[in-house]
Amino acid sequence: MAQQVISGLAAGSSYALLALGLVVTMKTTSVPNFAMGAMGLLPVYVIKSLWSQLHLPYGLAILIGIAAAFGTGWVVERLTIRHLIGLSHFTTVLMTIGIWFVLNSSVGLLWGYEPQPLPSLVSGSFNLGQVVVTNAQVMTLAVGLVIAGWLIVFFRTTWGVRMRAVAEDPLVPRLLGVRVATVSGLSWAIASSIAAIAVLLSAQASVLNPQSGDDLIINGFVAATAGGFSSIGGAVVGGLALGVIENLAGAYLSGAAASTVALLGIMVILLVRPTGLLGPGTGREV
Amino acid sequence: MNPAVRYGAIGFGVLALGAGVFFAPAYLNAYLMYLLTWIAIYAIAGTGLTVLMGWTGQIALAHAGLFGVGAYATAYLAGHGWPWPLAALTSSTASAGLGALVGLPAARLRGFYLAIATLAFGELLHQAFVQLTPLSRGPQGMAVVPIQLDGIDTPSLVWYLAMVILAAVMVTLTALGRSRIGRCLKAVRDIEPATGSLGISAMRYKLLAFAISAFLAGLAGAVFGQLITFLTPDLFDLPLLVIFLVQLFVGGVNRLSGALIGAIFVIAVRELLQSHVVSSLVPALVGSGQTLAFGLTLILVVRYLPSGLASLPARLRSRRPRPATLSPME
Repeated sequence: MAQQVISGLAAGSSYALLALGLVVTMKTTSVPNFAMGAMGLLPVYVIKSLWSQLHLPYGLAILIGIAAAFGTGWVVERLTIRHLIGLSHFTTVLMTIGIWFVLNSSVGLLWGYEPQPLPSLVSGSFNLGQVVVTNAQVMTLAVGLVIAGWLIVFFRTTWGVRMRAVAEDPLVPRLLGVRVATVSGLSWAIASSIAAIAVLLSAQASVLNPQSGDDLIINGFVAATAGGFSSIGGAVVGGLALGVIENLAGAYLSGAAASTVALLGIMVILLVRPTGLLGPGTGREV
Repeated sequence: MNPAVRYGAIGFGVLALGAGVFFAPAYLNAYLMYLLTWIAIYAIAGTGLTVLMGWTGQIALAHAGLFGVGAYATAYLAGHGWPWPLAALTSSTASAGLGALVGLPAARLRGFYLAIATLAFGELLHQAFVQLTPLSRGPQGMAVVPIQLDGIDTPSLVWYLAMVILAAVMVTLTALGRSRIGRCLKAVRDIEPATGSLGISAMRYKLLAFAISAFLAGLAGAVFGQLITFLTPDLFDLPLLVIFLVQLFVGGVNRLSGALIGAIFVIAVRELLQSHVVSSLVPALVGSGQTLAFGLTLILVVRYLPSGLASLPARLRSRRPRPATLSPME
């Protein structure tokens, strides 16, 4: 049981990270980003190629990959999302679905569909009572918590406040001298980098294939929804809880149960409390 | 125009179209008939999406799965000795029920939450096709019992079936669109906050739109099973969802004719990418290249042509392009 909880927390940490990416784009550009998983996937394949084909040191490959993720987010925002600022979610949902499929099938075309192994940055394990904990699991969890903490601080800095202001209303910040385009590009770049870390951590725990991003996006949505798409703490708690529940369901019910738990979970959350478990009860605009 | 002339012209057009549909299998080769049938099937499913996403303004991403429900359930029932029409109607009704179920949150959810819920529901259906092996045979796939009618070969029969259903659906939905119900659906899209004070139950009409579109997705799926003859879960996964979205938005989300135009577009693009010329130039384009092409198309259409190809002539005529907006969600 405790063993399942530990692996669940590690898996949940990548869900939480992806959810944080979703919260960032939602908080700043008010775009529900269905392409988040795919935007994280592409840089991880870059990392994989830098490491296995160009034989760069793995740590350096990861740094370059995250820079690539930053760039991917910026470019995607510049080319597509910026033109849709102020339009309805109907439009932006469709746009991000298009981006999702373009990125995913590009990865499939360039790297193929064979699952690829990725090494872990750390190795070894230690015993905690009777439970075996790997250092990789500890690192995954730590990375998730550190990034969440950093985001909480970041949203209180000047740039963070600008981002939140832009989400609230793109016009007024512009009148106050905020460069809305830069703020929105920056938020997509940050979100994309976080997504890349999420995909990287989850691929290290299993394998990397072009579906890695798809598996994460639904779980990320569940976690983000649990936090009402605005609460960073809610997204983290939601992600970790989902990982634990999924692992327990896999161990005590069946493998099939594990893969449907997130899908059922999101339906239930949305039916019971449509604005998210921890989210604010926002009113509807008329 | 003189009404007599007008109705005469319409009658003549309908007759000519009917004759074309009737004699097509005799003159066109088998592969072309196969593609035309496929277009008709997508058009049936597409009209349902027009009602839901175009008229009612609800985003729905579960329809690839619901299409699969129609295909699998019909094949299962027909395989157990049910007559095909009864099996298809039962399955489509089941699909309508599921559609209403996933639409239930629609009454309360804002646009993108609905998108997430319906996407998850579609994936849940896909998981069900994979894992409910006693019913669907899972990834191994399931053979479909072909429908039989004396004197007609099965491919032609499937073509007639698809075209009759498409014609019936088009006529019914055109009438529905002009009726009180159709106007209420559009009111839910355009002025939802005001519908309550007009005595229109937004929830009831949203559920109705979900049920209609899910029914048509299921019915189209039932015919699709006859066309494809062998069902595997991956036929009803995300790539099909993207095809439906491209179809809907290339054709124009608000018009029934858009569903047909979009269906022709997606089948034509697919054939172009599979053709010898293209696949010999870029071999990789056949598999994921299709998804890439459809993803790009979706991006371009949403960005530059939000009312679809059907709106192109009007856009070219008007000197100043309209601002690019889709139907409002909230």
